[in-house]
Amino acid sequence: MANNEMLAMILAGGRGSRLKDLTNKVAKPAVSFGGKYRIVDFPLSNCANSGINIVGVLTQYEPVLLNSYVAGGRNWGLDTRDGGVFVLPPREKADSNLNVYRGTADAITQNIDFIDQYDPEYVLVLSGDHIYKMNYHQMLKFHRENKADATIAVISVTMREASRFGIMNTDGEGRIVEFEEKPAHPKSTLASMGIYIFNWKELRRLLVADRDNDKSSHDFGKDIIPTMLGEGRKLMAYEFKGYWKDVGTVDSLWQANMDLLDEKSELDLDDNHWRIYTEDATEFPQVIGPDAVVDEAYVTQGCHVEGTIRRSVVFTGADVKTGAQVCDSVLMPDSSVGEGAKVIRCLVANGVKIGKGAVVGSAGSDSITLVAKDVKGVE
Amino acid sequence: MASIFAIVNTSNVRYHIDGLEDYRPIGAFSFLGRYRVIDFPVSNLSNSNIDRIQVYVSQNPRSLAEHLSYGQHYNINAKRGKLQLLFNQDSRFNPIYNTDVRAYHDNMDIIERMQQDYVVITPGNWVFKADFRALVNQHIESGADVTLLYHRTEKGDTEYRACNVLELNRQKGVNQIKPNDGSKPNCNVFMDTFIMKKETFIDLINEAMKRSSIFGLVDILNQERDVLDIRGIQHKGSYVACIYDVRSYYESNMALLDYSLASKLFTSDWPIYTQTTDSCPVHYFKGAVVKNSMIANGCNIRGTVENSIIGRGVEIGEGAVVKDSLVLGHSVIGKGVHIERQIIDKWAQVLNVKDLVSTSELPGYIRRNDII
Repeated sequence: MANNEMLAMILAGGRGSRLKDLTNKVAKPAVSFGGKYRIVDFPLSNCANSGINIVGVLTQYEPVLLNSYVAGGRNWGLDTRDGGVFVLPPREKADSNLNVYRGTADAITQNIDFIDQYDPEYVLVLSGDHIYKMNYHQMLKFHRENKADATIAVISVTMREASRFGIMNTDGEGRIVEFEEKPAHPKSTLASMGIYIFNWKELRRLLVADRDNDKSSHDFGKDIIPTMLGEGRKLMAYEFKGYWKDVGTVDSLWQANMDLLDEKSELDLDDNHWRIYTEDATEFPQVIGPDAVVDEAYVTQGCHVEGTIRRSVVFTGADVKTGAQVCDSVLMPDSSVGEGAKVIRCLVANGVKIGKGAVVGSAGSDSITLVAKDVKGVE
Repeated sequence: MASIFAIVNTSNVRYHIDGLEDYRPIGAFSFLGRYRVIDFPVSNLSNSNIDRIQVYVSQNPRSLAEHLSYGQHYNINAKRGKLQLLFNQDSRFNPIYNTDVRAYHDNMDIIERMQQDYVVITPGNWVFKADFRALVNQHIESGADVTLLYHRTEKGDTEYRACNVLELNRQKGVNQIKPNDGSKPNCNVFMDTFIMKKETFIDLINEAMKRSSIFGLVDILNQERDVLDIRGIQHKGSYVACIYDVRSYYESNMALLDYSLASKLFTSDWPIYTQTTDSCPVHYFKGAVVKNSMIANGCNIRGTVENSIIGRGVEIGEGAVVKDSLVLGHSVIGKGVHIERQIIDKWAQVLNVKDLVSTSELPGYIRRNDII
């Protein structure tokens, strides 16, 4: 079914430098999550589940893995004749040199030609680094019913957290009257989720004007939204209720993984009606050995557990050897924990090997220990 | 490089499994909770760089058709390669007519149009690892007309009872292919795998149909053994299983709980492909106890699982105990239920009967969709 009413543009160019060594070689959207997924699987699966056929993925920082990962869109069933996932890194054009994306808005501006091809009514702008399940079609319905010029998805946060977010101050009808980026004294607790629906013609006009504005930082939050508010446009806040997490730091990435162990958590990945799709691994089923202990754990295909795992999330192909103890930790793909080693309150990065008898992390630590390099064993 | 096409034969009159096979051919049986048996021959072919594959199905094709689809998950080039499902007229009034030769004869026009010089015929109910391209090269070098793959066993008196065995001379020439009568522990079990030139194959099918309407490929080879140079090649590999009855199905799965054996069948240079169902990782809840088991994704485990293989999306309730069992996808083992030595077919739910323990030599079997 050809349906180009709304296409999605996923901003996936950021490094996510607060994730430290985890993003040395890959962009944040390609970071592993929840045993078998990558962060970008969430917006892509949401698009597929919301009936959006055309998705542009704007990449910039370390894009090699991310580009090949999303290209074609087969993993999310988006490889239909009319649709597809299109990788959009900065490119040289006939009338302009190769320019990096200067900001979130500029990334869209540089791809106006791409969007124009499909002549959509609406454009959905998403961030490629959040964990959540959301029906964008519902949001579009809200946008249309309110005859808005733009709709921004917001989530209620605590007053304390509000200073870390872009905060939307709304009137009684949910119309946005003011936007404040990381306010010291927030007036509201509605945080922007970085999810925007724009009427394409309107957005196109604003982006063209923004392109040549030397004073602009070419950012949606800092420039485009304030400009629209200044013009008196109708911007609506669409309140999302459910699980949403910006996994920007090692601690928050660890916590989001741990949330999967909580039966009461709103992040349910075992929902047949809203599956999160990902690449297809060829590893064999997980093997739990004769002396293993697996108590409160989230473990995926290809893992081999001979030791003890408590309150931990174990990713594809990870290996926990005899006598090893893994507690309150996240073991990323293909990592391994040697015989008798102890891993406590850690996030062990992809492929990292922890030697025999080594001890990493501690139960009393304030923050999570990121283990990004091999740890030698103790003889 | 020799050009090769392959045939995967999923129906064989010699093999029948009550219960499970009412719903699907043996090739479509769940294996290790995650695979279907046919994933092994098809992955072998794909890994051997053979990408023209015909799968013959005669009964209950639905689950095989759904699972194989057009083969994209088997790493087959979508343009150059092709995974084809071929059907044949099933003579239900008398199963002796359902021979492999008849299935091939029904599709002769397609076989004749194949552009490849050689054919590999391999069964849909055996699990093993083999590089078929290397075997074809061996066949070509030997100068034989037909090569048959066999497994050397010391358990012919108790296992492989529905199989054929090869009687070989010292030069590995095949004197005879005959049913395993169980009289000898040491024998060469025929792995239902044939290698020959396409022309030889076509001649054999036509000749077999002329001589008898119920001849199989094995029958015509036996009659032609003085004319044709038929040789055996011994399969080298640490794991071989023929699934032909409930016991062999159960035991071939359980044997792979031995990790040292499983890690020889599953190696990173020889992936076994299957269709993904996008299920999430396994959630082990507080109080779960799991020992010596293989668990497929999408399960929720609250109880105890020992020496068992659990398929995708299975629910094991609080206080439930599952021992020595094969639990197929999407079934439910309810709170406090105790099962031992059972095969629980897909979508079954054991809720109201609290004890299901097989005391006989054979494992128990619970039918698909049943509530117990």
